[in-house]
Amino acid sequence: MAGSGKSHLRPRDEVLLRVEDLVVEFPAGRGRTVRAVSGVSFDLARGETLGIVGESGCGKSSAARALVQLPPPRSGSVRLDGQELTALRGEALRRTRRQLQMIFQDPISSLNPRRRVREIVGEGPRVWNLPGDRVDEVLEAVGLDPATAAVRRPHEFSGGQCQRISIARALILDPEVVICDEPVSALDVSVQAQILGLLEDLKARYRLTLVFIAHDLAVVKNVSDRIMVMYLGKVCELAPSADLISRPAHPYTRALIASIPDGGLDLPPSDTLISGEPPSPVDPPSGCRFRTRCPRARERCAAEEPQIRQVGADHWLACHYPALPDVEPPVQPAI
Amino acid sequence: MRRRFGIGFWLAVGWVGVVLLAALLADLLPLYRYDETLAGPPQTGPSWSHPLGTDGLGRDVLSRIVYGARVSLGVGVGAVLLGLLIGAPLGILAGYRRRAADAIIMAVNDVALAFPALVFALAVVAFAGASLRNVLIVLAVLGVPAWVRLIRGATLSFAEREFVLAARVLGTRDRRILWREIVPNVAMPAASYAFIGMAVVVVAEGSLAFLGLSVQAPTPTWGGLINEGRTLMETAPHVVLVPSVVMFLTVLSFNLVGDRLRALTDVRESGLEPVRQVTVSPMPVAEHQVRDTLLQAEDVRTHFATPRGLVKAVDGVSFTLERGRTLAIVGESGSGKSMLIRSILGLLPGSAVRGGKVYLSGDDLTARTPAEMRSVLGPRLGTVFQDPMTALNPVRTIGTQVTEPLRVHRGLGRKEAHAEAVRLLASVGIADPVRMLRRYPHQLSGGMRQRVTIAMALSCGPDVLFADEPTTALDVTIQDQVLRLLHQLREEHHMAVVLVSHDLSVVARWADEVIVMYAGKVVERGPAAEVFRRPRMPYTQALLQAAPRLSDPVHHRLREIPGRPPDLVDLPPGCSFRPRCAYAQDRCGQEAPPLVGVALANGAPVNGSGHQYACWYPRPIETAIAEGAESSGR
Ligand SMILES: Nc1ncnc2c1ncn2[C@@H]1O[C@H](COP(=O)(O)OP(=O)(O)OP(=O)(O)O)[C@@H](O)[C@H]1O
Ligand code: SF4
Ligand code: SF4
Ligand SMILES: [Mg+2]
Repeated sequence: MAGSGKSHLRPRDEVLLRVEDLVVEFPAGRGRTVRAVSGVSFDLARGETLGIVGESGCGKSSAARALVQLPPPRSGSVRLDGQELTALRGEALRRTRRQLQMIFQDPISSLNPRRRVREIVGEGPRVWNLPGDRVDEVLEAVGLDPATAAVRRPHEFSGGQCQRISIARALILDPEVVICDEPVSALDVSVQAQILGLLEDLKARYRLTLVFIAHDLAVVKNVSDRIMVMYLGKVCELAPSADLISRPAHPYTRALIASIPDGGLDLPPSDTLISGEPPSPVDPPSGCRFRTRCPRARERCAAEEPQIRQVGADHWLACHYPALPDVEPPVQPAI
Repeated sequence: MRRRFGIGFWLAVGWVGVVLLAALLADLLPLYRYDETLAGPPQTGPSWSHPLGTDGLGRDVLSRIVYGARVSLGVGVGAVLLGLLIGAPLGILAGYRRRAADAIIMAVNDVALAFPALVFALAVVAFAGASLRNVLIVLAVLGVPAWVRLIRGATLSFAEREFVLAARVLGTRDRRILWREIVPNVAMPAASYAFIGMAVVVVAEGSLAFLGLSVQAPTPTWGGLINEGRTLMETAPHVVLVPSVVMFLTVLSFNLVGDRLRALTDVRESGLEPVRQVTVSPMPVAEHQVRDTLLQAEDVRTHFATPRGLVKAVDGVSFTLERGRTLAIVGESGSGKSMLIRSILGLLPGSAVRGGKVYLSGDDLTARTPAEMRSVLGPRLGTVFQDPMTALNPVRTIGTQVTEPLRVHRGLGRKEAHAEAVRLLASVGIADPVRMLRRYPHQLSGGMRQRVTIAMALSCGPDVLFADEPTTALDVTIQDQVLRLLHQLREEHHMAVVLVSHDLSVVARWADEVIVMYAGKVVERGPAAEVFRRPRMPYTQALLQAAPRLSDPVHHRLREIPGRPPDLVDLPPGCSFRPRCAYAQDRCGQEAPPLVGVALANGAPVNGSGHQYACWYPRPIETAIAEGAESSGR
């Protein structure tokens, strides 16, 4: 969050995936630590798509990988259908993998160049000793012709087709949740539209729950029911997609929207909303992590980390001085 | 397959095969015994009964070479396989497991690598006795550290690929990941290295044998044969020449096979095919008149002769550009945007063939030699590319790199250049320019680096700034800052800007004119506002509707263009967009549509700056307005 807190989480029995206080850190050499994700909480209801946006290095991918425990988070809880994943190791963890699949950004490097498409897509069933007869079905579902595609190797396909193969590989295990980490960022506009359409179709057909990560707010808005905005390892704002775009309250969300040409909102130009560059996650600012670039920052922002609070119907925010006229700054906690 | 490897490879394989077969089947071949003295008259040259002559004791040289191959190749192949057998598991373990395993294995390995190898081999063989087994073991052990390093490196590079992560997400066990995902990928570099290793071992065994430290007489080895023949150099030179030539050819063949295999893996990875130089006849330039304008491109073409066929990366692009205007070039990946820019700047790879003319203020740039271009590139034509790191030298400070063009092109002294550099960096929004000048590129963020390259591009006050995807590698908020900066600098310097981008919203916001490219050709062009509001060519229209916009409702179904951009060596006849076009009719497959002006719909090509498109059945203006306005959201 620029801030922390868990008040935005829904009751446990309503959600499929619940992530609390997720912390991911990496050693940065000379005894220092990269604070990639610092206390992020969110949840997903069954059948929902949660979009996560933020700039590069804000911890989107680290959070995604922590969800699948590769590597496991430094601390925090990831609960899938009531089962705590962070407590599991080895075989017990492996057994949960069918439910949680992932799609990666680089379509080329996510496929083994030496294997044929049939083997790549059939790997899941083989690992799980399931019948491999669904390969053709999922290949067809992602828009590839099984007869010609299955015997070829990845380098014979374009980026968009490789991404389809990755999706087929994830789908064949009938996962509950699919985490898509920038699945369309490497693709051309026309192919991107194809893949976004495909994801929506598959979501309906296989009753999927999606986490959709991207840096492009317009893409995220297109597919997500709710959007979570991240900055430097913290949550800024979380709201239903339409609401987040039409009533952005966090100064960073507003800057993101304003920096998109054709944002469709009457915001001041983005350079009056944001300046400079993100600080290093090795040495994040005190208080609100956005304060070094925030035009609304005041002393309190350096001293105290804003907590997530509700500012509208399912609209959550971590900021002391948000940009919504109808939102009052929260009362200072009495100490 | 044959084409890919080349004839040399197959000759090499053939030679190795023949030598190997001969060695294996030596006992079955109609040869003299290798140790049969006086099988013929001593020291005679080649004859019918002794095709390679006889040596000093009258032994048959051919037979001795063939039996010698058993030792030489046996040691070569054996030592390499043994080294691989020991080294590969260690390398894979170190590369896949990392951490402690890696640290220990690599520490031991580094120490082993520091050993003076040949001295060690000499000592061991001298001590343990010169036998085939000892030589083989010593040479194998000597090769292990190199194997460990090679296999570990290859493993590391693949273990970090996302397909390994994907396998783990699927729940694949480590052992299977190693065998299925990593080993097959490591096998190819290992095979190529194995052949090169065999060459090294054959030479090493030869050296040992020459020193008498290999298998003892009478068993022949190639090195031993050369040693024996040495004394007969004057009377019977063939005794020393024949084994030398055989050994030379064998070592050469091993190296060649190894090299070709390595080239093959590299090619697979980059996806680039090696380009064979094919002479392409110079391209005629359509008749045109030189206009009074800042930049004029006439019928620019860039062709590549590739093994698969002729790639027309840019196929006849013309435009003019005035000061104070921004021309955007849009299109999907591979449509030829970058090649167009590079053609104009004369910065093409050596394999490219360029056609057409480029005039800068009426001065023909295509007539200039690369050396003459240098006085234009920089001073008059500035460039900013997608990856700022390619423009910056990683080992030199920002200061030396920014001041250099100032001193070379503008003849400033050291102090002046420094002051000017500070001013330039400040002008592109760098907060502490003096400190920045002392830093190295890797110490800056991507956005800062791009600002530095923009400052460098501006340092000599260019007339035209070419920016090829200048912000694609940057974050949106930074992207916006950089584009804003470019726009502001264009105004201040009164330059023209050529902006290449695949991002339509960027183009819509910052460009005055736009060129839409598809498969190397201009398919639509005109004032940006006009083209975006009233696209006439189906591809432009579909492209606009395929891009998601913030103003669209959630879960809005984007327009999908079926298929993908065509293969440039195999373009469909007629209109290149036909296979993906929803409005195609018969004519589209027969004739390529020319670029025509909106005002003159009679089919005559129009020059000038109006709205033009290349399509036989353009979208009517009414629907274009409706769909276009809805889609561009402007
Ligand atoms: N050295 C080369 N040999 C053969 N073909 C080449 C070579 N370099 C580029 N090409 C081909 O030229 C075509 C145009 O490439 P270009 O880089 O101009 O595309 P682009 O529009 O800039 O794409 P992107 O958006 O991916 O940067 C491509 O099909 C490419 O494969
Ligand atoms: S106003 Fe303060 S708390 Fe809110 S984003 Fe800015 S710096 Fe953070
Ligand atoms: S010429 Fe024909 S195929 Fe080409 S864009 Fe126009 S209608 Fe489509
Ligand atoms: Mg390019």
